Amino acid sequence: MNDKGAILPAENGVEAAVVGWLKEALNKKVFDALLMPVQVPAGDSFAYLLLQNPALLENGSPLPPVMPVQGARAISRLTMRGNGSKRIAAVVRPCEARAAIELTKLEQAHLDNLWLITVDCPGVLPLSDYLDDPAAGAARFVEASQHWDRAPMRPVCQICHRFSMPASDLHVGTLGSADGAVFVIPGSPKGERVLESMDMPVDAALDDWAAQVKEMEEAQTERRQQAHADLRAGIAGPDGLLDVFSDCINCHNCQRVCPVCYCRQCYFESAALKLPPENYLTRSKRKGALRFPPDTLLFHIGRASHMILSCVSCGACEDACPMSIPVAQVFSLLADRAQETFGYVAGKSLDDPLPLVAYEMDEFHQVEQPYVEIYHKREVQDA
Amino acid sequence: MEEQEFTPKIVGFLCNWCAYTAADTAGVSRLQMPPSVMVVRVMCSGRVDPLFVLSAFLRGGDGVLVAGCWPGQCHYQKGNFHARRRAAMLKSIFETLGLEMGDRFRLSWVSASEAPRFAEVAKGFTEEVKQLGPSPIWDEVFL
Amino acid sequence: MPEGLKINKGAQEAVRELLCSLLESGRVNGVLALGRTRGANGGVAYSLFTDSDAFVADGAALPFLPFMPANAGGLLSRLTLKGSLAGPVAAVVKPCELRAFIELVKRSQGSLDNLLLISSTCGGVYPLDVGANGGLEERLPRYWEAVKQGEVDSDVRPVCRACVHFVPENADITVALVGEEDLDTQCTLFLDTEKGAAFVKGLEGLQGTSLSGELETEPIQRSHSQRAAYREELFAGVEVGMQELIRTFGRCIGCHACKTVCPICYCSLCYFDSQDCEYLPEIYESELERKGGLRLPPNTVFFQLGRLAHVSVSCVGCGMCTDVCPADIPVSTIFSKVGTSVQALFDYQPGKDVTEEIPLMTFEEEELAQVAT
Repeated sequence: MNDKGAILPAENGVEAAVVGWLKEALNKKVFDALLMPVQVPAGDSFAYLLLQNPALLENGSPLPPVMPVQGARAISRLTMRGNGSKRIAAVVRPCEARAAIELTKLEQAHLDNLWLITVDCPGVLPLSDYLDDPAAGAARFVEASQHWDRAPMRPVCQICHRFSMPASDLHVGTLGSADGAVFVIPGSPKGERVLESMDMPVDAALDDWAAQVKEMEEAQTERRQQAHADLRAGIAGPDGLLDVFSDCINCHNCQRVCPVCYCRQCYFESAALKLPPENYLTRSKRKGALRFPPDTLLFHIGRASHMILSCVSCGACEDACPMSIPVAQVFSLLADRAQETFGYVAGKSLDDPLPLVAYEMDEFHQVEQPYVEIYHKREVQDA
Repeated sequence: MEEQEFTPKIVGFLCNWCAYTAADTAGVSRLQMPPSVMVVRVMCSGRVDPLFVLSAFLRGGDGVLVAGCWPGQCHYQKGNFHARRRAAMLKSIFETLGLEMGDRFRLSWVSASEAPRFAEVAKGFTEEVKQLGPSPIWDEVFL
Repeated sequence: MPEGLKINKGAQEAVRELLCSLLESGRVNGVLALGRTRGANGGVAYSLFTDSDAFVADGAALPFLPFMPANAGGLLSRLTLKGSLAGPVAAVVKPCELRAFIELVKRSQGSLDNLLLISSTCGGVYPLDVGANGGLEERLPRYWEAVKQGEVDSDVRPVCRACVHFVPENADITVALVGEEDLDTQCTLFLDTEKGAAFVKGLEGLQGTSLSGELETEPIQRSHSQRAAYREELFAGVEVGMQELIRTFGRCIGCHACKTVCPICYCSLCYFDSQDCEYLPEIYESELERKGGLRLPPNTVFFQLGRLAHVSVSCVGCGMCTDVCPADIPVSTIFSKVGTSVQALFDYQPGKDVTEEIPLMTFEEEELAQVAT
């Protein structure tokens, strides 16, 4: 499905082209509504709007400089209890689309009547950098993204190697769009039908774009591996991890903004961790002191154990941390390793079953303790 | 007249024992009342959670009316006393934040036998809300 | 006139020694106070100390550090929620944290039993990001200079500079800090309650002279006027009106961190996280039909106004909400402003008197006649 795409003229830039295309789609009733980032009234941020009034597209942006809300959260809120009658196109970044796919597998979103539309992504600015001076931030973003310079972006955006063509219904390929045009590439029959109804023939060769994407993916993969190696050296062992999270104030922002963390009441805020005073005092006596509230590391590692197999390294967690802890960097490292163990890539395809739900009869023997060999050694020896 | 007559949408939380009965009697007696009050029957004005009022406004309600028994006559003894405090608190919040909602929110006492009073309250409040016009956040997208 | 004690040591040192002695002598089983965590940033967190060695190791305990990683009132609630303390525990908390705890006790979210509450007159705290960026150490000298003069350092959070409740009211022991020029060499503490006095009397190693004095000195009164003036200015600066609120909360990302750190917001499942707010697609679609567009996730302004309806009556202006907001929204300024109005309506001061009922839980038969029309 990805070897040919439709051409979308983009003389006035990618934003204008995509917004214009979406407007046309709305007017032609190809979609009933769009879900996309729109600038807020004060002009100092962006919010996801579900819109069917084309006038609202004036301030819309398919690639805003920041990601205050992870798009998959918005998609999940909207479709948690099912799809309505309206056909909705959600314009999101690749990591948001991947998170939406994971949430669908987790039954927290329904994509039947929803089209995921993505664009090649240069990353987003850290929210606090942008908020200092939104206008300057926007300009900085435009400048950097034009040259695919990821230096001003979120740390995990800087090492992102999945910035293009996720399993979305339509993907706008912008890499190397030198001649004032971009590609709209269908990723599913649903996507193909959209292009058909818009009279956009899917007949342009994508070789050039695909080659550029591959090149950048390889470069980014190398950067990622290096960054992860460096990070791992820094956080290995209980000391390293304790240092990283020493500033944590247990606000749980990271959990709240994470698209994959969907529990209404997080285990780490539940009655399970609300204990009688004797418990805290006894634990304190063991070490002489107990950080309060306790269980900071338990929260982070525990949260990781809950969601790491669906983590898409979007970086929303780090953006939201008031103490500037590199949460996303740590989690992206954990995610890569954990998902690798299962040969799984979060958000790659709706058809890949969740690793903790699926199983094979014959696998992972290396984590098993062979009972007979350990506890009945003599029998084994004598046998 | 070219101008369309604006019929406000007023969400009315009426307590079962007094206000709702009065409203019902007013209706049955064919007393003149504008069709603006959308009645939600609650067992007691004390059941009205401030979130109900906020929700009604934020979903585009032009006005919110809470009506119950006169203080001292509450079917459950104390409910309306709590309702009065909650209403006072809400009005304080609205006023401090400069929100028009303060003027669009009314608490009234109407006993079961005061059907004409209910009609007056409904008429009077509808007029007030009409003067204020439709809710300014009726079509507000960024709520 | 409360009984006081003057110790010929700098205030920080004197209090650390006092706490250490309380632990060593077994008069208390534990001390809750700010402490240094490990980590290159010199992170700070509240710690429950049970061993005096841990207390003094490497300057571990930092009782009066101008930093608030969590509202200790919420922490005291966490400590005593599932049962009162069987034996005494001392806690060093700031006035707003103490007031928050009293409000929580009124809501059955904690118990005052066996708690030795130590507080101080407060010169405010620095915002969280100052700590995150390692800027705390370098600011300390000028912080304490300001405190000695009865002033508030300009880098301290705005809500602290606007706080008029910086003299604690329900402490067992209050340490005088604001306006005490000889803080570095003398420590004056007031034994506000019999409990406070009992813990301190005859404590080994504690050398101090008794005194009778007033906590509310002239510098305190001066500081109060200054802060009251700044408070008025700060509140006047809040942009009011529906459109202005929409603009202010335009940046809100609905993370609800403000709720998580708020000591008064104790609900284990917030209404706005509950199933009530998980809407059917038909609801979204009908709103969309009417308005042409709607923000997702929904309820941005509803959450703020709803939370105001729930907590304004007990808001102590501790400022945790603004500190933790990833979108730099001045939540605490808005909540304190509304809180002040709502509290004035009922002539109620949160945290002042644990026996005073929360205004929405009680009523007078004759009152507020102007509300019903």
